Amino acid sequence: MTDEDKTLDATFAQMCVDDVMPSEALMDRIMVDADRVLAADIVAPVRPKQGLGAMLLDAIGGWPSLSGLAAATVAGVWIGVAPPDALSDLSAGYLGTTVEVSLLGDDIFSGLDG
Amino acid sequence: MAHDATNMTDADLLAAFAAGDRDAALTLTQRLTPRVMGQAFRMLGNRAQAEDVAQDAMMRLWKIAPDWDADRAQVTTWLYRVVANLCTDVLRKRGRGVALDAIEEPSSDAPSVAQTLQTRAREDALRTALADLPERQAQAVSLRHLEELGNPQIAVIMDTNVRTVESLIARGKRALIARLSGRKSELGYEDD
Repeated sequence: MTDEDKTLDATFAQMCVDDVMPSEALMDRIMVDADRVLAADIVAPVRPKQGLGAMLLDAIGGWPSLSGLAAATVAGVWIGVAPPDALSDLSAGYLGTTVEVSLLGDDIFSGLDG
Repeated sequence: MAHDATNMTDADLLAAFAAGDRDAALTLTQRLTPRVMGQAFRMLGNRAQAEDVAQDAMMRLWKIAPDWDADRAQVTTWLYRVVANLCTDVLRKRGRGVALDAIEEPSSDAPSVAQTLQTRAREDALRTALADLPERQAQAVSLRHLEELGNPQIAVIMDTNVRTVESLIARGKRALIARLSGRKSELGYEDD
């Protein structure tokens, strides 16, 4: 340890013994601040902790909304897979013709015949 | 609201305050303010400024109460960091020269006025040099050498690891020595 290190450590050591007790006036000021925070209602009631899933569920309106969303999704998929005849007639009426689009290719099931 | 303060942690009391319990604030004030004040005074060397920092730190505690996450940090750990930051700001505002009114009068039972003033001058020179350091070096050095905390605890306070703390302290002390070496005769070190 160099002389400079010793000098620095000695000064720090001197500063370490510096201590003061807070005055009564300071304690009063701190409590006035606490009262102001309470009175201003800056402090809100403690909130229960929520996980990410619960937060998302709340954001869409809870379980009733989630069940409605699930039902609509299932109905949409079903209509896409097996559209009712009335729906085909309706779209043909609007478009003038029936358009079929296969996303899987025409012969995807051809190998299953035999 | 009645509560047995001796059995409640700081975090419990803070939660009680957040729920509107004034007694919890009183218990926290009595429990934490002496430590906060001591840290601020050791860093600043001035009672009035240390009291302002202590009040500011406790005000921040009241305001953060509703959002306090007891799993993330201890109240005392958080306060160490807040006080160190506030003190560094105050020291920087003081600038390189130490204001005359920032130096407290020596008490009457001091060994001698000259010796006390020289000790004061050395301490204030060191505080000023501390304020010139990069913020994290100043924090690490003050927590190690003024609060006498261990490096692992400093690492938690500064949200880093022990090796980084060791490096910050070593670099900080080298910088302090470099800054103070030019003022040796002024501070009376050559007489030692």
